[in-house]
Amino acid sequence: MGKIYRYECRRLLWNQFFAGLTVVLLLYGALVLRGVTILGVSHTAPFSPWSFGDYLSRMLPLLWLGALTLLSFFTSPKARRAEVLTAAASMSPRRYALARCLAALTGTALLALLCLGQAALFYGWYFGWYGWGSLAFPTLVTLVPPLVFAMGSGWLLGKLRPWLLYAWMPAPFVCGLLPLPEAMGLWNGSFFIRYPLTLERLDPAFSAPVSVLLVQCGLLAAGIGLLAHSPVKAVAERR
Amino acid sequence: MELKIQGVGMTYPNGKQALKDLNLELKSPSLIGLLGPNGAGKSTLMKLLVAALLPTAGTILVDGQPLVKHERAFKERLGYLPQEFGLFDELSVTQFLDYMAALKGLRQPKAAIREVIESVRLEEKAKAKIRTLSGGQRQRVGIAQALLGNPPFLILDEPTVGLDPEERIHFRNLFSRTAQDRLVLLSTHIIEDVQSVCDQLVVIHQGRSLFTGTPEQLIHLAQGHVGVFWERDAGQEQGLHITARVNTGQGIRCRAVAAQLPAFVKVEEPTLEDAYLYLLSREVSA
Amino acid sequence: MNVIRLFSLELVRLVRSRTTWLVVLLTALSPAAGLGFYQPAVSTTMNTLYLANPAMAGGAAGGILFSLLTIFELDRLRRSRADLLTDAVVSPLTTALARLLALLAVAGLTVALTLLGWFPVSMVRIGSVFDGGDYALAYLLLMGLALPLSVLAGGCAYQVTCRRELSIVLFAAFAALSLTVWAGNWQLCWLNPCVWALSDDFSNFRIFRSVAWMRLTWLAALAGMWGFSWLCIRRYGKGALGSLARSARRIYRPIIALALLACAGTAYAAQPFLDHSNPDLTVMSFYELPDVEGVAALRCSAKVFPDTDAGTVTGRACYQFENTSGQARTLSFGINPGYTVSRVQANGVDAPFTVSAYQEYNEARLEVTIPAQTRVEVSVAYSGFPQESLPTMQGINELSADYLCLENSALLPRPMNVRSREGGCRTVVEITLPASMTAIPFSTSEAAVVAEREDGAKIWRYEEKGMGSILYAGDYVRQDIEAGGITIQFYYARKHQAIMEQAGAADAVKAVVDYCVRHYGLPAAFGTSGRLKLIQSRVRSSGYAVDGASLLDEEDFTAANLADVEKGGGAGEVMIHELVHQWWGLGRMFDLDDPTSPWSAEGLTVYTTYRIVKELYGEAYAREHYIGQWKQAVDDYYLNFYVRHPAYLELLPEGERLGISNNLSGMRWYSEMPLKILKAEELVGGEAAMDRILYELFQREPDPMYPYLTYEDFLTACGLTEEELELG
Repeated sequence: MGKIYRYECRRLLWNQFFAGLTVVLLLYGALVLRGVTILGVSHTAPFSPWSFGDYLSRMLPLLWLGALTLLSFFTSPKARRAEVLTAAASMSPRRYALARCLAALTGTALLALLCLGQAALFYGWYFGWYGWGSLAFPTLVTLVPPLVFAMGSGWLLGKLRPWLLYAWMPAPFVCGLLPLPEAMGLWNGSFFIRYPLTLERLDPAFSAPVSVLLVQCGLLAAGIGLLAHSPVKAVAERR
Repeated sequence: MELKIQGVGMTYPNGKQALKDLNLELKSPSLIGLLGPNGAGKSTLMKLLVAALLPTAGTILVDGQPLVKHERAFKERLGYLPQEFGLFDELSVTQFLDYMAALKGLRQPKAAIREVIESVRLEEKAKAKIRTLSGGQRQRVGIAQALLGNPPFLILDEPTVGLDPEERIHFRNLFSRTAQDRLVLLSTHIIEDVQSVCDQLVVIHQGRSLFTGTPEQLIHLAQGHVGVFWERDAGQEQGLHITARVNTGQGIRCRAVAAQLPAFVKVEEPTLEDAYLYLLSREVSA
Repeated sequence: MNVIRLFSLELVRLVRSRTTWLVVLLTALSPAAGLGFYQPAVSTTMNTLYLANPAMAGGAAGGILFSLLTIFELDRLRRSRADLLTDAVVSPLTTALARLLALLAVAGLTVALTLLGWFPVSMVRIGSVFDGGDYALAYLLLMGLALPLSVLAGGCAYQVTCRRELSIVLFAAFAALSLTVWAGNWQLCWLNPCVWALSDDFSNFRIFRSVAWMRLTWLAALAGMWGFSWLCIRRYGKGALGSLARSARRIYRPIIALALLACAGTAYAAQPFLDHSNPDLTVMSFYELPDVEGVAALRCSAKVFPDTDAGTVTGRACYQFENTSGQARTLSFGINPGYTVSRVQANGVDAPFTVSAYQEYNEARLEVTIPAQTRVEVSVAYSGFPQESLPTMQGINELSADYLCLENSALLPRPMNVRSREGGCRTVVEITLPASMTAIPFSTSEAAVVAEREDGAKIWRYEEKGMGSILYAGDYVRQDIEAGGITIQFYYARKHQAIMEQAGAADAVKAVVDYCVRHYGLPAAFGTSGRLKLIQSRVRSSGYAVDGASLLDEEDFTAANLADVEKGGGAGEVMIHELVHQWWGLGRMFDLDDPTSPWSAEGLTVYTTYRIVKELYGEAYAREHYIGQWKQAVDDYYLNFYVRHPAYLELLPEGERLGISNNLSGMRWYSEMPLKILKAEELVGGEAAMDRILYELFQREPDPMYPYLTYEDFLTACGLTEEELELG
């Protein structure tokens, strides 16, 4: 399985497409950092968890798109033609799917790390600020649930119909346009702008209401559930 | 290795009946040629044998065990080359075979890969990216992955498509050598390939088995039903299936098969191709 | 098979494809996005709302769609292996050229369909100020040319990479750059032109020219790049570079591509529209030049000949100086950076001169050495295309047969380091204008026609106090309004006459002037002439005022703005604000020395605007739209991270620091000070008391040494201290 994982990583990450995605991500990231994050959100510092969270939520649609694009490597017509060979091999479909899924997760995590690295560089260069500890929790809460959900839902949709994967790509952009309830504020980034103002104190430490955390936990659980379910689905589909 | 196909039927969700009550018994060592016109059900049969499809009727037994229940164990002993397949273009030949070796769970992949690369004569392209290979070279990669790990059961669907005559002969011989201690099922349209290497034949037509036996038995079946004649001698004869038509200095010489040969036709010794065409023509007439 | 024959075959094939028609349909519908969610142009003129934004949305969306169509079409042929068949018959280079032409033809067809389809919609929405020429130019330049650029870019990416996905990513990055990072750079935003406004009532000569320049620059650049990518088309089993080397053997091919790229580079570097003024607006070195000892200006005159077809100006300015220093002196003049000085003479003899490369506030520095003679007459011959400073707000200095705006050094070189003689210097300007134009000096002066040429052009002449002048001209209607005991000369575009009369704009002007005169009295400047010029300018996002004249943006008078009852007090509030500046805001009223101080002309002007709006539209509206917004802005300011921690602001690079600090300081003028005045109003006993105080301040006898109204003067008049007005 380790070897399959390594080869899948190589296939997903060592190509011009991933390089292009990285360039687009970095360009957009630079734009957000220099145009928006630098001003700080809700009266907080540009390097506060809130401003950083706002930056992450602005990057999230691109990361989502990147994650689904990586999954499309497994669902494209070309990949489906190769599946004729791999399906006849003796490796358990579940283990094979797990190896591929882990490779896609690795790619997504790399993209996310690029965003974080770019922000680190920005904070260090512009403000000489290196207090990363305070940003760990908002990073986890903002990025992990939606990206795991992207993988789970994308995997399932891609198995059902490859085009559904592409239709699913604009979902976070749509979320950004919708007036979502407060509990879903992390889905369109409004949480980082609105919630600190309700805390009625300057430079509040990062916190989130239970409803928001529950929604994110639900998203994470749904993502994990779909990931656990999807390989079984893949076996059934071969029937 | 013994494979029993008992009353297998396959009807697709769109209602198309690809196989009807098929009964076959395949035993190793043997190289079995699977013949049949387009749409006869050959590919469906192969997909059933690699557990890519489930039969809608009947069972497939591998060494007496149902394939469905022992799929993984069966696949460990299977090498499969489909008619149409894709490769990971971004990997090199060796990397792709290493990938497939990992999927097959081979313990000594390097030696196995070296061996199959030599078998399919791809040593020079071992490190080349798959996207740079020609059609014939891609086909050879497909064959190599099927041979990987010396599986006791090989299913090869049109393996020599796209290969030049020299390569075809090489692979024919390779399959023949492979079949000395294994079961090889070779589906092809090229009768010459079958005639050269297969010791068993299965002819399928419209989802049913028309013939099972040795090539000699099939040829024997066509004895007295194959002949040659000059076209100028022929009238409006019915039931005469012309299989060859050669322009010569003396006129046009025709070769034909028929259930009853007319008087002007001189009886000839049938070839395997004649016998196959006679079998199909008989079925169509019936 | 020649290219033309192949082109017709390719065109037929494209036209038969459903994908092509889908792209054509979506592109033709895409201007609808400009009426909704994609509105890059921020102005509210009718042409901006219903022409510029839809056309730009159509350009951006159509560009992306056509690039995808190009990539998919090229890829489809490769995937289907049809290229193997065609390449056996025709050279792949010929096929690629024919395909490009076919795609460009489809793009042209799409633009034509869009032009036809949106014509009735635009005509109805824009109303009486609709202009067919503007409509066609807007769709051709803002939308139409985006399509061939995208076809070239998409084709270029595919021909180099031969990979569909990679080409899409490359194009996406290229388009994203234009839509984001380059959006503020008018020469780089190839997909979405940097257009912020289109005028309804006057011409759009400059902005259309600027967009055309940008488009043509990119057209040359992308055609050159496409040319190289064309040579990269795979042949003889070679890769991109191998094919390039092979195809480039016909040397004229790479030479044409290189020539196109060189054209693009030259067009980029030699653009005539924008100057290179120092972006740091806090630097005012030209205004800080010390006066030259012993030299005084006696008189200025200029003869100016605008070429309204070419948009250029030719002029000759004469200055009479008195040089009592007994030495040769070097004088500095501010001149528009777009002008070339061809000759400078002092007392009829050629004088040495230099024009600085450094530019500041839309001026370059012309240095002229005058001889050591007591009376020196300096004449400067200049000509050129007047340049602007703001790349994102181009078109303000329009110069066409419809409208003309020549401000200060764009009209004639402005002496920078010479004081006027005692008793003041006067400037006489003669300008030759087309017959339909009326010359309006932006001052109390009146221009008069002194001669008429055979071609109908008129020579206008006027005399100004001081050195320099600002002149507006256009096809104007003048309406005289009696209000507050003075005459308001209201100049507005003839094209806008029906809307002005229908909306009763004159009544609104009268109401504002009556209010201000009633509460504060007449400004001294009106007292001498008894009149105020109120000039409707071409869209410029703001107005300004000097003694006896006030400039109001056409945006304030759009049909939608004047007729929108829902907008309530919002309609024309900028007009009120600019008119109020006649009372609070002229140069002699407030000192401009301290740009960091919250005390400026804006505080009292915004407060008075609030009072007028309250009287006109009710307290609830005024409270919500003025006091509420001031409070919010002030709260935001003091809570702002950089205000609380200025050390971090200092750490930032200059560009970012300036952007943030400029943004923050504006708030103090426009929100904090009005709020303090409101607090003062409460402390002194209410509106009536404050009105009395402001009346007295307005009517005070200023100190000739320092005639400005200071914050201390205001506090003293209110009987309050600075601390009492601190906002808690």
